[in-house]
Amino acid sequence: MMASYIIIADITTLWHSAWPAAVTMLALASAFALALLIASEKLRVTVDPKIDQIHKALPNLDCGACGFPGCSQYAKAVLNDTNLLGKCSPGGPKTAQAIAQILSLQISESGPVRRPIVHCRAHTDDKTYYCEYQGIESCTAANALPNAQACKFGCLGYGDCVLACKFDALHIIDGLAIVDYSKCTGCATCVKACPRNLIEMVPFAHENMLTVACSNKEIGKVTRQMCAVGCIACKLCTKQSDLFAIEDNLARLDYVNYTPSEQTETAMQKCPTGVILHRGPSAPVPRPAKKPEPAKA
Amino acid sequence: MKTMLIGKLTFPGGTHPPQRKDLTADSPIQPGPVVKKLAVMLSQHTGAPCRPTVKPGSIVQPGQLIGDSDAFISAPVHSPIDGRVKEVALQSHPVLGRSPAVIIEPNPNIPPKRPRPKSQDLFRDAAELLDKYSPEQICLAVRKAGIVGMGGAGFPTRVKIEPNPRLPKHTMIVNGCECEPYITCDYRIMLEWTEQIIAGIILAKKASGCERVFVAIEDNKPQAIEAVRVALKNWPDTGYIHLVPVKTKYPQGSERQLIKAVLNRNVPTGGIPPMIGVIVLNVATCAAIAEAVILSLPLTHRVLTVTGEAVAEPGNYYVTIGTPVGELIEFCGGVTQKSAKVVLGGPMMGIAVADLETPITKTTGAVTVLTKHQIGKAKFRGRQTPCIRCGRCLQACPEHLNPTKIAHAVKNNRLDIAQDYFLSACNECGCCSYVCPAKIELTGYIKTGKIFLARQKKKMPE
Repeated sequence: MMASYIIIADITTLWHSAWPAAVTMLALASAFALALLIASEKLRVTVDPKIDQIHKALPNLDCGACGFPGCSQYAKAVLNDTNLLGKCSPGGPKTAQAIAQILSLQISESGPVRRPIVHCRAHTDDKTYYCEYQGIESCTAANALPNAQACKFGCLGYGDCVLACKFDALHIIDGLAIVDYSKCTGCATCVKACPRNLIEMVPFAHENMLTVACSNKEIGKVTRQMCAVGCIACKLCTKQSDLFAIEDNLARLDYVNYTPSEQTETAMQKCPTGVILHRGPSAPVPRPAKKPEPAKA
Repeated sequence: MKTMLIGKLTFPGGTHPPQRKDLTADSPIQPGPVVKKLAVMLSQHTGAPCRPTVKPGSIVQPGQLIGDSDAFISAPVHSPIDGRVKEVALQSHPVLGRSPAVIIEPNPNIPPKRPRPKSQDLFRDAAELLDKYSPEQICLAVRKAGIVGMGGAGFPTRVKIEPNPRLPKHTMIVNGCECEPYITCDYRIMLEWTEQIIAGIILAKKASGCERVFVAIEDNKPQAIEAVRVALKNWPDTGYIHLVPVKTKYPQGSERQLIKAVLNRNVPTGGIPPMIGVIVLNVATCAAIAEAVILSLPLTHRVLTVTGEAVAEPGNYYVTIGTPVGELIEFCGGVTQKSAKVVLGGPMMGIAVADLETPITKTTGAVTVLTKHQIGKAKFRGRQTPCIRCGRCLQACPEHLNPTKIAHAVKNNRLDIAQDYFLSACNECGCCSYVCPAKIELTGYIKTGKIFLARQKKKMPE
């Protein structure tokens, strides 16, 4: 108690001894403030406000579909190179339009959105297995073995694409990857994840697209032994419509020029193994596979 | 030279799986089956695959070149038999998935003969002649014969033994460990082909310019140690060859672990043994070198163990390279009711095959057929429980890695973390999966991680 009395009583003495310190501190503070003020003016980094605007217009999912690590990098890149405008597939045409407005550009009507299709339709019951795979549940690991399933081209169904998808738009249903088109944003991450390159990005000009759901390049006889729903390259579809072609024992549909017509519908009906089917948000259930022939083990 | 039969030398880590070598250890090397169709793979080694030098329909002689490559790290392949090339087609490869192979049909006019090993007298008599081969001649003969490391990795032997001014070699270790359970082919070679192996060692030593040679044999093969000791005693001027018994432990036969055990030196992570002046050759490779240099014969046959509880007549056979696995098993009494899994190689590192048309390659040391009961015991899928961080895999790992960290990183697609924990340093010996009480397939994840890594680097065709 005594000590505090002394300090309070002596406050004037204290001020007399402390004022040089106070002045020094004030002088230093003003000097630093001045230095910071000058630095902020001289060394200013001019950030284009448009980058911030573009970043806000983007979906901010950081999915990497555009080829850049994240949305902010894409925002910077698209400002410098307007050719990159339509690269944001989760955002779609709306985002492209918004970015175009920020950059005061006029964009023409963009093409149809691109969505993935899985070039296989074989569920577990349709496939032939020579052995029981006992390894870890990953398509990449199974694909490293020569005979995880008889067909070397078809879907393995261990779900590497499901793990890769950030939008919960892919599911393994009974041994086959099925795309949920209502959730899919077209970011194409699944395309890179598939070790068998089964997934292809296709322009969806119509709500439901006709697809050739097979990738088997073996000759028809071998394919038939392996899979109940494999393309046997019978060329029936090519006789119906010019959009179909056979390459490497596999039917191929010209997806870019595809328009639904009577010929393509007939081709779908005539396909003996039911490989040609509709995929899309409201696609009809594909007709069931014919009974598989007894496979040679 | 006094030789102890108890090996004291070893490496840290490792496991002791059941040996099960008594199934075939006493079975002498017998001639293999006569084949109806051969599929000689064009890529049986580490390095650039060969291009076929024959066309469908061409007639081939035994030992004729059928595939070659200009790349330095590569080895040519030869036709083992007299016959006609049917086609060059894709065949199941034990490691590479589907890979091109030359399919050869034997000449119907020639009576079929079972492949027989060469007489050992040829090598005993050639002892004095070994001096006349120059190192260049030996390297060229080894390259021409298409010899690769026959222990399993299949690295072209010429690349190993050729003197490299940047990486001078001073020590050669001859690997007779055969630490993998079940396999006995190297053991039988050491017992029966001892002279041939020593001739090969002398030739390889001369070609590589090494000053000293260690022959490392695990101490669970006392007869082999004795056989090599006696043969070395009778052979003139072999003072530089030291016979060292090593402790029986898996994976003692792995290159880096063997160097650690014998020389107590560490090969740098991601490096190769020549960086510390050492080369390691398998005993079967040494035998092949002797055959290639002295008899000018290419590598078209190899000794192989057909074993496992599910085979009727397990044994060691002298087999034509390119024989389908199915025919070989058929020759040994066929698959029985109990058999469930055919593994090329031993149970620890071997690769299960589903296609019995898969041909034998230069690096296939064994065909192991396991029973349903054994598979059920070892089955991982469905029995896997969470990692309890017990650390057994860390103790077992001979490379001092943290397998559980790497496996979890790979599982969650974080290759960057996996690489921080040295994913590529794993030698896939399988010790971690073997000891894991949670039945996590650690080696499987690490192998998958390596595939992911290769795909990331765009080396592997997708």
